[in-house]
Amino acid sequence: MRSLAALLIIFFSGTAIAQKLDGKLDCKYAGTDFIYDCTITLQRGGQPLSGAQVTVGADMPSMPMAHNIKPIKAAPTGTPGEYRARLDLEMTGEWAVKLRIAGPVREQLVLHYVFTESGTAPRK
Amino acid sequence: MIDFIQNTLDGLSVGASYALLGVGFTLIFGVLRRANLSYGPAIMLGVYLATWASFSSKGLLLLAAIAVAGTVLAGAYVERLCFAPHRRGPAVAAMAASFAVWMQLEELATLLLPRHLYSFPALYDGGPLAFGPFTARVESLVTLAAAVTVCAVVWKLLYATRFGIAVRAVIDDGRAAELSGINVGALSLRVFALASAIGGLTGFLIVSSHEQVTPMLGMWSTLKGMLAMMLGGLGSLPGAVAGGLALGLIEAHSQWYLGPQLRDFTAYLLLFALLAARPPWMNTRSAY
Amino acid sequence: MDEYAIGVLTNIGLLSFVAASAYLLLVAGELSFGQQGFFGVGAYTAAIATVMLGVALPVAIVIAMAFGAAAAALVGATTLRLRGLHFAMATLAAAEMLRILFELFHWQIEIGGELLGPDGTQGFRGIRWVFERGLEPLEFMLLVYGMLACVVFAFTLLERSKLGASIRALGEDPELAGMLGIDVVRLKLGVAAAAGALAALGGALFAHHNTYIEPRNFDIMLGVHSLAYALIGGLGTVFGPLLGVALDLGLLEGTRVFQGYRMIVFGGLVALLLAWRPRGLLDEHTVHWLRNRR
Repeated sequence: MRSLAALLIIFFSGTAIAQKLDGKLDCKYAGTDFIYDCTITLQRGGQPLSGAQVTVGADMPSMPMAHNIKPIKAAPTGTPGEYRARLDLEMTGEWAVKLRIAGPVREQLVLHYVFTESGTAPRK
Repeated sequence: MIDFIQNTLDGLSVGASYALLGVGFTLIFGVLRRANLSYGPAIMLGVYLATWASFSSKGLLLLAAIAVAGTVLAGAYVERLCFAPHRRGPAVAAMAASFAVWMQLEELATLLLPRHLYSFPALYDGGPLAFGPFTARVESLVTLAAAVTVCAVVWKLLYATRFGIAVRAVIDDGRAAELSGINVGALSLRVFALASAIGGLTGFLIVSSHEQVTPMLGMWSTLKGMLAMMLGGLGSLPGAVAGGLALGLIEAHSQWYLGPQLRDFTAYLLLFALLAARPPWMNTRSAY
Repeated sequence: MDEYAIGVLTNIGLLSFVAASAYLLLVAGELSFGQQGFFGVGAYTAAIATVMLGVALPVAIVIAMAFGAAAAALVGATTLRLRGLHFAMATLAAAEMLRILFELFHWQIEIGGELLGPDGTQGFRGIRWVFERGLEPLEFMLLVYGMLACVVFAFTLLERSKLGASIRALGEDPELAGMLGIDVVRLKLGVAAAAGALAALGGALFAHHNTYIEPRNFDIMLGVHSLAYALIGGLGTVFGPLLGVALDLGLLEGTRVFQGYRMIVFGGLVALLLAWRPRGLLDEHTVHWLRNRR
């Protein structure tokens, strides 16, 4: 009974909402095979967020469970709040880029971008 | 009133391409009693080949021929792999196989041309023609004319040739036709070729009217063709033409009055309501 | 296990729910192109429940399943007399209507300074219940497979019961089943509702795994894939559809042997396989043979 109550508390309890994390993406087409060199900018409350471990994945909007790419770790560039990753997408078009962030904050972000052969633009 | 008439004109010209897709779909369905989900993707492959060829040559007749030839080849491949082995087996398996090949054809096409959008040479460069307060795009008129011509040719083929007699015999009663000496296997391949040729031509007309090609073409063609076929009652060629035109009209009017999202909604709602109510002209024979 | 393997396994588990849902209808003789619609109903309902109404995930899953079952029963009741391609097209039309309704669905409320809720074609972001409870990907995967095990267990019980035999009889020949004293209408509705609930369960889990859903997630590709998975894997046992999903996602996507050509290889294999075994790998005969060998 007590464990049930504990479970209920976990299930029903709200959590404090941390300050909102903002993510931005800017990618350059590497020229072949839909490989993109991406710079990820993370900010929390207007301040760059450094020292985070960032894992990047991507999904297509149709059949997201079947078309996804192997998640990779992004490396810090040296500039505060900036991380770099090389994404190997299967095709151009719209992708939902998923960021898993660990370190100073644990967070999960989904960013929508249209990938073309010139680079990326946020989805309208 | 002017809007209404203009929408009707636009709807008819879009409906002409739906009617053509519906006719192709119905030919295959009539003979095989099986839905070919790969119909659209075969068209897509043919059109992609034509798009690829358009990088070096802009001759419209050549491109149309390539689109038709590519679609016919893809269609024949689909028939041999998905329908020939299942002529007597369960219809579901044939349909699932045609879906599997859909994936194949689509990936083949996107390997050939991987970008999300390609431009296609325009069917006609000038602006729309004006008739009093109404306008009509030359591309639409060409598509309408093509639809009428194709229907006439198919009609002639079905009612004035030995091939047509055999096809109609199979549509009426496949087993009896087979017993009377018709080689249904060979016939089915030829019907696939005919339907694919119509599909390839339609695909060419669509992309050269829109002047662009996207990977959505495969799914779009299959969906519109099936909708036209179902709205027309499933299995009748004049029905498919009527269904295609009706779909075009419904889309044009609901787009104007209700907006683009509700346009598709209206078409699906109508199909659903028709299927649920089953009016007398709908073919109610159980079929896959 | 690395994160990618967990991701692929979780996706296999999630797709298995829709595939099992399509399988249940196939066994009852119905071919549905529309199970993705109920998957979507489940995803939206559960997400609204946890994010906007502050309900716990287990409760949200139950609500989602109820909504999925209700939606499926409604569609089932209007399509009762349809068979074959007519039924397939009617279910497709219903699912596409649902998808367009998701596109028109705007209902956002402010929670913690952020607007949350379904926002039309922009989708529904921030479904963070699982994330906020600190569930690791591995734990969520185990949750998915725990639920899947329950489903498989329920199917195993069903296959051995009189009800299961009635459903197979309905699939073989509805007229004959009616003459044998089976209440065909009730059974059809029940099967449709159960299949809808099953798809909705998958959708609820998917929404919380992905933390983000949008109408296009629930387009016809998902429905036709799940149907194909059931047909490839086999109609003899519930392990058939699961095998179908595992073959596609696990073997081809997961191992990345045929990267870039996956669909060409998979499509060709499936077409050949169906020419050889029209009712899938684990068809009724094989299952019967496997059972009797013991």
